Amino acid sequence: MTTNTYNNDKIKEKLFYKETDGGLKVYFMPKEGYTKKYAILSTNYGSIDNIFIPIGEKDTIEVPEGIAHFLEHKLFEEPDENIFDKFSKMGAYVNAYTNFSQTAYLFYSTDNFYENLELLIHFVQNPYFTDENVEKEKGIIAQEIKMYEDNPSWKVFFNCLKGMYEEHPVKIDIAGTVESIQSINKELLYKCYNTFYNPSNMVLFIVGDLSFDEILRVVDKTEKKDYEKTEDIHRVYPNEPKKIKEKFIEEKMTTSAPLFYIGFKDYSLGLMGEEEVKKGIITNLILDIIFGPSSIFYNEMYEEGLIDSSFGGYFTGKSTYGHSLISGESKDPKLVYDRIMRLIDRPVDAILKEEDFNRIKSKTIGSFLMGLNSVEFIANNFIDLYFDNFLLTDYLNVLESISYRDIINRFNEHFTKENVVLSVINPL
Amino acid sequence: MTLKSERINIGNGINLNLIKTNKFKSNLLSYYFIRPLSKDEVTKNALLPLVLRRGTEELDNNLKIQKKLEEMYGADLSISVNKRGERQVLRFTIESASGDYVKDSKYIYEVIDLLKSIIYNPTLEAGYFKKDYVEQEKENLRRRIEGRINDKRNYAIERCIEEMCKNEKFSIYPFGYIKDLDEINEDVLYNHYKHILSNSPIEIFYAGEYDNNLVDYIKNVNKIERENILNVLREPIISGVQTKNMIHEDMDISQGKLVLGYRTGIPYEDRLYNALIVASDILGGGPNSKLFRNVREKESLAYYITSSIYKYKSIMLIDAGIEFENFEKTIDIVRLQLEEMKKGVFTDEDIEISKKSIKTSTESIKDSLFLISEFFFSQSLTNDNRSLEEMLDDLDRVTKDEIVEATNQIILDTIYFIRNTSVKE
Repeated sequence: MTTNTYNNDKIKEKLFYKETDGGLKVYFMPKEGYTKKYAILSTNYGSIDNIFIPIGEKDTIEVPEGIAHFLEHKLFEEPDENIFDKFSKMGAYVNAYTNFSQTAYLFYSTDNFYENLELLIHFVQNPYFTDENVEKEKGIIAQEIKMYEDNPSWKVFFNCLKGMYEEHPVKIDIAGTVESIQSINKELLYKCYNTFYNPSNMVLFIVGDLSFDEILRVVDKTEKKDYEKTEDIHRVYPNEPKKIKEKFIEEKMTTSAPLFYIGFKDYSLGLMGEEEVKKGIITNLILDIIFGPSSIFYNEMYEEGLIDSSFGGYFTGKSTYGHSLISGESKDPKLVYDRIMRLIDRPVDAILKEEDFNRIKSKTIGSFLMGLNSVEFIANNFIDLYFDNFLLTDYLNVLESISYRDIINRFNEHFTKENVVLSVINPL
Repeated sequence: MTLKSERINIGNGINLNLIKTNKFKSNLLSYYFIRPLSKDEVTKNALLPLVLRRGTEELDNNLKIQKKLEEMYGADLSISVNKRGERQVLRFTIESASGDYVKDSKYIYEVIDLLKSIIYNPTLEAGYFKKDYVEQEKENLRRRIEGRINDKRNYAIERCIEEMCKNEKFSIYPFGYIKDLDEINEDVLYNHYKHILSNSPIEIFYAGEYDNNLVDYIKNVNKIERENILNVLREPIISGVQTKNMIHEDMDISQGKLVLGYRTGIPYEDRLYNALIVASDILGGGPNSKLFRNVREKESLAYYITSSIYKYKSIMLIDAGIEFENFEKTIDIVRLQLEEMKKGVFTDEDIEISKKSIKTSTESIKDSLFLISEFFFSQSLTNDNRSLEEMLDDLDRVTKDEIVEATNQIILDTIYFIRNTSVKE
């Protein structure tokens, strides 16, 4: 198979690509002079994928909340030596994470990169679950869940999602609950693994001062090649009604001051590739223009003592869900909410000025360029965009193509009083 | 790539540190002001960067400053206040995209001007700081201090240090105290600020691409009047334990937070210090450490358990999130693991793994402009002239005997635990 190369002169970065015989897609971005070498192997499977047809079966099943994250923990189990030890012996730092839409396994090292790469591919492609090691993990994950339960910022965020979504599993805690993980067993884990960890559903991304030929040689030597070619995985997402579930959610916790999240639920769903990425950038530009530190809104509210420098907003989404989230700490979250409602009621050309748009756009370009200094930024953003069918190297071009008109149109459709939720955590 | 920093004295107590590299798509300029950590000035020092960030003589409010930063291709302004041992350090930084990438080679001078103005030419009103800014930022600082309890893990660590070092300056909270805020106004703070400008040791860092003109420019904009520069002393190190503490705090939480505080008595200048770093890593550094294996993997008691050395004060803290009823069980395991290390029950492979892990994270510093300047700043604070490579060579020479010797100096001082007594055990 041929190797593809993508060049982007504006960012002075290159990207190499090849699909291996085993069906794994491998991307590589060289970073000359960098000490750190970073590899991330990710599967398009996250906490929202909990209803699906398992590979080789006919009917859909619903699996316990938190199973994708549980599986992530358990892949580190090996029949002989602990996988952490193997990486440690070669000076690599290994980790993994699960989010709404993917599970990623990563390491970085300064030496022995290719040996570590072998380990990464090997352990992700060779699960070893036993009744005993599955049971043992429940206690550890229960402590992880409890750690998040005590975190007011995490709670106020998830309560906001729970207020926005009636059905969509994005409202479910990624790690599940202490109760939901109890019903996880080795058979269910294998079922999820076999369905979602097929190379056709995965991507390997590598960044650092390395050779692509050598990378391909290691992948070819290590990867399993006997996977059955699969059709697209059949995943089921419940029909999410347009309306939001609850306008206002409040909870009390140990915290010094009230925390809030205001969420605008997105209805323009079902997009992929450039269209989806463009929608995301546009929405984030809007949020920065109207709520960012150079906005009139931010500065007025700050001077009145209603918000502090933690205030800000961002948009995030995939093809089946999306939302803008505005968050911060305030002595009066309801007043902040009311002021935001008043703001979005004003004529759009009074809120979104062209000169502000131009300035925020140039800021966003600069921030993206600075982000490319970091191998972590590159790797995490690459895989996040990859499963949306988009390459990070095209990001700047899309950003530059956005016009003032795009901003106005998106504002009118997305920021309305019908699709908004207020979540508050109050001190005890 | 060998990392180098050229340190030039450009004024009484002011050094300019230049780090030349074209590896990044940005440049970074940082100012560090060094103060003694003291109850008299800690709150005022913590408030200063917040007020200075509000406006300069020319750009007299936040909105104007933010717009200026955005016009400069999203240059990123950050401030921080923290303690390094018994020194309080105020940092002001701007990182900006290289002129090369945004086709604007001259704007770096505007970046330098902006940061310089934030530090030296604040917005004034009747000869002092602007009253509104001071009052608003006092309120923000009050909330910041009260907000300590929000991050339970960090809070537990800070509280353990406060209890353990209650008779030492290191116990001072770097963001200050709410009770001090009433006495601070625009005039008190401004006078304190003049003091800081005139007598603090200042380290300036510029990392990225530069030429002689740029260096001259930085030298010129930093010509300020200075008085007797403070000699901010190295903190004393206590070895041995005067009083053993056991502190329980009650909070409405689901997970108990345990912190164990130890004295090591091994200063960073000591030949055993590198061995101590390795010892702590073997005990509770990474996922291959003794604590991770025994507390998490074997007993499923915790999701996280780690051990860290606090360089300037030579103390070691172990912290974990556990069920309330597992308090004693966890401490027993930690005690046993530390005892074993004191007897030398660890392998050459454990040592190798820890050395490699420390090497990987240390070498990764080279991939970030910010971490590079933090590294050289820390070297200047400790009067350590070794390069990063030399430090790693020294680490590599640590022997098992030295690790055992270092471990035998580790003594438990304080046990700190946050629990929830309303939950039935």
